Amino acid sequence: MTPLRGSSLHGRTAALALALVAAFAAPGARAQGKAVYDQACGVCHNAGIVGAPKLGDAKAWEPRIKQGVPALYAVALGGKGGMPARGGNLNLSDTQVKSAVDYIVSQAKVRATTAVASAPPAAAPAPATRTAAAVASTPAAQSPPASALPTSAAQPPAAPAATAPTDPPASSVAKFAPGPTTVAAAVPVRAPVSGAQANAFNRLLRPPAQRNLPPAEDGIHDPANDGTQLLQPPLEAFGALPRSNAGNRVDWVKALAETRIQPRVDRVDPKAEAVVMDLNIVREVKGSMPDVVYPHKQHTEWLDCSNCHPAIFVPQKGANQISMAGILLGEKCGVCHGKVAFPVSECRLCHSKPKPTAATAAPAR
Amino acid sequence: MTGAAARWRALVAVAAVVAVAAIDATPAAAEYGDVVINRRAERGGVRPVVFPHWFHRIRFRCKVCHSELGFRMRAGANDVLMADVIDGKFCGMCHNGQTAWGAEQCDLCHSGKPGTPPGIQGGNETRGPGRW
Ligand code: HEC
Ligand code: HEC
Ligand code: HEC
Ligand code: HEC
Ligand code: HEC
Ligand code: HEC
Ligand code: HEC
Repeated sequence: MTPLRGSSLHGRTAALALALVAAFAAPGARAQGKAVYDQACGVCHNAGIVGAPKLGDAKAWEPRIKQGVPALYAVALGGKGGMPARGGNLNLSDTQVKSAVDYIVSQAKVRATTAVASAPPAAAPAPATRTAAAVASTPAAQSPPASALPTSAAQPPAAPAATAPTDPPASSVAKFAPGPTTVAAAVPVRAPVSGAQANAFNRLLRPPAQRNLPPAEDGIHDPANDGTQLLQPPLEAFGALPRSNAGNRVDWVKALAETRIQPRVDRVDPKAEAVVMDLNIVREVKGSMPDVVYPHKQHTEWLDCSNCHPAIFVPQKGANQISMAGILLGEKCGVCHGKVAFPVSECRLCHSKPKPTAATAAPAR
Repeated sequence: MTGAAARWRALVAVAAVVAVAAIDATPAAAEYGDVVINRRAERGGVRPVVFPHWFHRIRFRCKVCHSELGFRMRAGANDVLMADVIDGKFCGMCHNGQTAWGAEQCDLCHSGKPGTPPGIQGGNETRGPGRW
């Protein structure tokens, strides 16, 4: 019966969240839009990869927004050119994709209005607000999908169904309303920091105290759930393991080699042994980066040949096109590295074979 | 000369993208490799499921799940019904009261924050379409 309690809790949390909207100007719909965006869209739209219009780049977005938000929804859902359908994440629901589009649009708007605000307040702000209102009314017009947001869907038994559908549009209006909310939203990507925090030595690098947080504080577990308190905090497990600089901050290869962990090779038989193949493949890299050495040994300790061959890599030296851009998009080595295995920031672990000096000198010609 | 310049540009682009990835990962404090499974959970009226890779890889090699048990190595690619879990499929291949605690411990799996979208969490740096 816990799940039932849980779901009514959802309802309460959702109601609470909506109530808090007024106080913090962080509407639930926007928070969801941002969450979806960060996860599925930011990889291209943050930096403008493969020609994607950048988040908050009013100039790039203005002509697109002019086509109307429904047209943007259609492209986001169906794809166009370099823009894959649903950002390539086919699990996202229509509502989630649309919330990400709303977020993108709101960011373009916010920057546009702040830019305009510094110019003489001529006719410009008016159309901006008018389009903003149009944006806000779109989700309202499509009330059913808007109310299909997970939070409200998760409360079927909750009677106040009548209030639920009206709430999201209300908050989405609030989100675009000019005035104090817009001001708060003008610092969209980061929370404002005050006082002593503002000049902290590390502004963006997460301090050690904020790594490997216990489940209740990690932002994805629900602290109101009893089970969350029973889960193991990562640091308790990692204390005995060799450390590394990224990812879980555990050197999993070393942990295994030193038998600090003994992960089973078979679901039930603790004695089964891994079939390890020791074969290094050197991939020459053009330019000054050291060559990549791909080691079969460390991989076959963990993985089966069929995890990689033939779906990800054709088992033939040099037969696979691999590039860093592809890896960052989650292809080839990026299927695991940067998600579960050590992340891409650890250049040296892959680019481990220094070039003979003659070769590095040659391209200078 | 131009060749070298192009290569530098490639390198700078790579570094910039990695930097962006690393920085925008900062606010997400989830443990690296945690996967939120939420195709059906919230629609079914329960919290999203959080699957911790770090916890399981201390106990099992990747191949146990991704080869022997047939979990597809792509977030959201496994269509899991709760009935399947109870019938001993997916998580239920282990969470059956024998290899590990059973399906009645709803709270331990359904522990995610409401509204968390499905997918990999925890400051991952490679994202987007897993095209392969
Ligand atoms: C693989 C890179 C990539 C990802 C991931 C991606 N986009 Fe895009 N997006 C693009 C590119 C490239 C364009 C420009 C397409 C064009 O104009 O031909 C674009 C354009 C768009 C547009 C403007 C469409 C138009 O008609 O001008 C919207 C809206 C959009 N993306 C939304 C999203 C959303 C929402 C997500 C996440 C769910 C997302 N994108 C993820 C690459 C991406
Ligand atoms: C290969 C076997 C296996 C599979 C498959 C499996 N688990 Fe587990 N899981 C375990 C074992 C063993 C434990 C430790 C049990 C114990 O502490 O008694 C565990 C523990 C957990 C824990 C608790 C972690 C903690 O902090 O104590 C969670 C949550 C969990 N599993 C979720 C899942 C979910 C969700 C799935 C399916 C997506 C899944 N597991 C699939 C074997 C498995
Ligand atoms: C983590 C992924 C991964 C796993 C697991 C893996 N391989 Fe490979 N394998 C590769 C990559 C990458 C290459 C290099 C392909 C290239 O250079 O284009 C490769 C190349 C090969 C080659 C070609 C070697 C040559 O000189 O042409 C063979 C043969 C091979 N693998 C066999 C196996 C076998 C057998 C297993 C299981 C014991 C296995 N691989 C497991 C990724 C993997
Ligand atoms: C199917 C998943 C998968 C793929 C694909 C994959 N790796 Fe790995 N790799 C792992 C795992 C798991 C480890 C163990 C270390 C860890 O988890 O951080 C590992 C470890 C390594 C190591 C050893 C680091 C050390 O400390 O000794 C290197 C080097 C490496 N990978 C390079 C590559 C390269 C290069 C590619 C692409 C050609 C690649 N990997 C593709 C899963 C993968
Ligand atoms: C998981 C392993 C891995 C990591 C980590 C990694 N690379 Fe790469 N890198 C590769 C592979 C594989 C190639 C392709 C080599 C080839 O051409 O066969 C490559 C190619 C490159 C290239 C050549 C241009 C291109 O896109 O193909 C550059 C530049 C580069 N990497 C820079 C970096 C930098 C900078 C980092 C650290 C921020 C890094 N790499 C981290 C595996 C890795
Ligand atoms: C071992 C982990 C685990 C445990 C324990 C567990 N679940 Fe689930 N459950 C899952 C996974 C994984 C899914 C698929 C989620 C998704 O795709 O969104 C799921 C989905 C669901 C769904 C929605 C899909 C459907 O089939 O309707 C409901 C409802 C559900 N679980 C209820 C429960 C209840 C009630 C309990 C306790 C009796 C429970 N679960 C215990 C892992 C678990
Ligand atoms: C106990 C079972 C289990 C073990 C062990 C396990 N995984 Fe997974 N893995 C899962 C589940 C469950 C998912 C989520 C699938 C889904 O969302 O449908 C997943 C997803 C993934 C994904 C997809 C992430 C994405 O963003 O698409 C990758 C990559 C992955 N695992 C790699 C690994 C590697 C590498 C290892 C070994 C170090 C490993 N897994 C060990 C169960 C496991």
